[in-house]
Amino acid sequence: MAVNGQAVERVVEVRRLLSDFLREDLGLTGTHVGCEHGVCGACTVLVDGESARSCLLLAVQLDGATVTTIEGLTPAAGLSPLQEAFRACHGLQCGFCTPGMIVVAHELLARNAAPTAEEIREALAANLCMCTGYVNIVRAVARAAGR
Amino acid sequence: MTAPEAAGWVGRPVPVKEDARLVAGRGRFLDDLTPGRLLHVAMLRSPHAHARIVAIDAAAASALPGVANVVTGADAAVASKPIRPLIPTAAPLDDYCLAVDHVRFVGEPVAAVAAVDRATAEDAAELIRVTYEPRAAALDAEAAARGEGPLLYPALGSNVVWHDTLTYGDVDGAFAAADGVLEERFEIQRYASTPLETFGCIAEYDPGTDAYAFVTNDQRPGLTLAILAESLGVPQARLRLQCPDIGGGFGNKRRPAYLLICALLARRAGRPVKFLEDRRENLTALMHAASGVMHVALAYRADGTLLGLSVRDVTDEGKNLVSPAQHNLIKLGNIANGYRIPAIRYEAWSVLTNKCPSGANRGIGKPFMCFAMERAVALLARRLGLDPVELRLRNYVGPDEMPYTTPTGSQYDSGDYPATLRAALERFGYAARRREQTEARTAGRLLGIGIATSVEPAGTNLASYEIITGRRAASGSAEAAMVRVEPDGQVRASLGDPPSGQGYETVVAQIVADELGLSPEQVSVARGFDSTTTPWLYLSGNYSNKFAVTDTGAVVGAARRVRDKLLRLAAHRLEIAPADLELRDGAARVRGAPDRHLTFRELARTAYADVLGLPPGEEPGLEARHAHQNPLARPIDADRRVPSQLVFANAAHCCLVEIDPATGRVTIVKYVVVHDCGRELNPLIVEGMVHGSTAHGIGAALLEEFRYDAAGQLLTSTFMDYLKPTALDVPDIEVGRLEHPSPFTPFGSKGVGEGGAIPGPAAVANAVDDALAHLGVVVRSLPITPDVVWRWVAGRR
Repeated sequence: MAVNGQAVERVVEVRRLLSDFLREDLGLTGTHVGCEHGVCGACTVLVDGESARSCLLLAVQLDGATVTTIEGLTPAAGLSPLQEAFRACHGLQCGFCTPGMIVVAHELLARNAAPTAEEIREALAANLCMCTGYVNIVRAVARAAGR
Repeated sequence: MTAPEAAGWVGRPVPVKEDARLVAGRGRFLDDLTPGRLLHVAMLRSPHAHARIVAIDAAAASALPGVANVVTGADAAVASKPIRPLIPTAAPLDDYCLAVDHVRFVGEPVAAVAAVDRATAEDAAELIRVTYEPRAAALDAEAAARGEGPLLYPALGSNVVWHDTLTYGDVDGAFAAADGVLEERFEIQRYASTPLETFGCIAEYDPGTDAYAFVTNDQRPGLTLAILAESLGVPQARLRLQCPDIGGGFGNKRRPAYLLICALLARRAGRPVKFLEDRRENLTALMHAASGVMHVALAYRADGTLLGLSVRDVTDEGKNLVSPAQHNLIKLGNIANGYRIPAIRYEAWSVLTNKCPSGANRGIGKPFMCFAMERAVALLARRLGLDPVELRLRNYVGPDEMPYTTPTGSQYDSGDYPATLRAALERFGYAARRREQTEARTAGRLLGIGIATSVEPAGTNLASYEIITGRRAASGSAEAAMVRVEPDGQVRASLGDPPSGQGYETVVAQIVADELGLSPEQVSVARGFDSTTTPWLYLSGNYSNKFAVTDTGAVVGAARRVRDKLLRLAAHRLEIAPADLELRDGAARVRGAPDRHLTFRELARTAYADVLGLPPGEEPGLEARHAHQNPLARPIDADRRVPSQLVFANAAHCCLVEIDPATGRVTIVKYVVVHDCGRELNPLIVEGMVHGSTAHGIGAALLEEFRYDAAGQLLTSTFMDYLKPTALDVPDIEVGRLEHPSPFTPFGSKGVGEGGAIPGPAAVANAVDDALAHLGVVVRSLPITPDVVWRWVAGRR
């Protein structure tokens, strides 16, 4: 598969989860695991451009796929505009849900450059944050969209 | 970032330092750490609420390739000592880190496996054969309080850990003189804040020095180190405990037993081991806010004046011997809420049941206390035909009465409770919302307005346990910090309180920057905690809202010691009085002649290298530690008055809900919070905390419940059935603020981490009740889920 633009080839156990593969085999620890049953969204990555729960996928299913993690959405120097917006709005506290939130927000903004607050909430509703009450996350995404 | 004008960095919405790494996924959380030769741990847990362990056969598990070793309760009983209960028990209990002979809740660890990876460890755990002899489970706390039901520990003769009646003032007289008494029974469910990162640890044993090292996301390293030393039989000097970035805490992140289990496995394996809960383990077995039942009797005069309060409170602790009665004591400290109630009686039961241990969860007991009081006040207003706002205004402790000591011994240090409520009502548009409600009802829609106000204390005073034990073991609220100018002149600070999302690296940097004439960016603050380098106390930790009221004193004290030393060194070298110098832009400068200066780098050279240049008698080096204790803590007095918590913030929540009678769904249309946490150290962080803790209150009110069946099986053990609020459930919470500084904290700041979680459930419940009261509905329990609402509404319209 291609991960963050790099070709990766590994032999893995059939039961290896994509989340474990990314974190443990590739050392991409920015993808976090919060529930391992597909509800919390902390482990969200992009698979062929669409958000997906890496805890619900097996690495072997991704043969030939393109995977993008938070590391792939972070510029070599500095932060992306979306990440800057999260920081400016303090759209996080403990930061554990944040990579998944940013992946989902990235996907939303790629699809809809000017989402309403309601559309932002709809898109984020698949990801849990236990710290912020979502208010500043919604603000951050709106700010990144220039609203 | 440019230097601020007149005032300092404290009080400004300085961007949060930690956020820069966290938005890039560059935090370092426990599971991101993988020491060499690491083994992974899986636990086998009890499937029964209560059973005798007849036999454990771990042979097949031990033989599985990849398994390093297996430990059971029998091993724990040989290699460790029992975990000492916080309240001494009537008979000694064999309460080890793994169950010995009996299991007492579903999810209690029975055995643990260390293997080359987690999957292999889980495979091995499944091969362990345990023979159980199931026992009847104690699940009804009220029955247990009456002395009925099966016993968790027959040696104790009772499941009641504590029962007592505390009376403050002339309660009988107040009730005799009253025009009326409102009596209600309220219930709260078990719920938890469920930090998104689960709890765990890495443990390593060094046989060369007989020493253990732990990396853990434990919130109270000071207390945990004491337990580890005692249970492992190792001096504290041979223990090291580090905390990395912590992915949320809210009180939940603590279980010394898991660290002990890992210590035993690491010692046997001769390799480091890591355990991290999966979500089911977290929801089933880590920590729940205690459920409970509270009877409230409120004596009042016909004009609405509150004369007396009598509370009977049964707290369902689950299998919690580590911190029983904690909920009770904290409720006692908060029992009067913001009201002037001269006579108070509190009858408390702390009761063990065969459920997950209860423990610290955002607000500890206060959300229930506030729910009961604010529901009672709302019901009393309805009985008297008064607006609930008016009833509150008649009974608040007034701003002219501050500082005010409550009958139970809490001191409300400052604040203007009527002003907080009025500001919230204005922002909410109370009169307009009432009109909206009336119009909607005419159109057949169910709108309700809920108001709840609360006090929010910060800092724990463990001296309150003397009410129960009759002796003082720990007391007060204290924390330690260190500030150091490194040999290259750069500044570093550390604190004994490991944050879990509260931005302490930023706020500590703001405080130090002001003292040393720097910008926050120029101050490096250590991530997390390391018992070998961070200054710390037994009381150290991330709990009880204490940063703003206790930790700040430690940081500013250490920074001032370093500041004074910098000034002394510069004064000596420049041959000028320290008073004629100031610290600005990384240098000690002569007032009025700023070009005459010595940089921190130059002063550090004197302190660390060219020590012959030091003033006579001055110690080499340029660092200082300081520990601060909150001045409001005091011991119990002869009338059993004691503040269980200290500095008091306050808040008013106003909430508008609409109820869909067809589905029972409650939608929050508008939510306004006005809060007063004294001086805000960083308004950006404070506002985020208010949003987040209010969301916890909303979750507890409408969604979250750990539900057990009649056999003590937990029915809600995943996020698919234990429902957390999503971005579609939490409204755009509007926040306003007042600032009445505390006279008792270094910057006038107060705690703010729990303020939304305390009145949130009450505000939502009052709104639902207000929407449905005309149908004869009275809200007496939580959570208010759609099925509950639907049943209330069905057939009554």
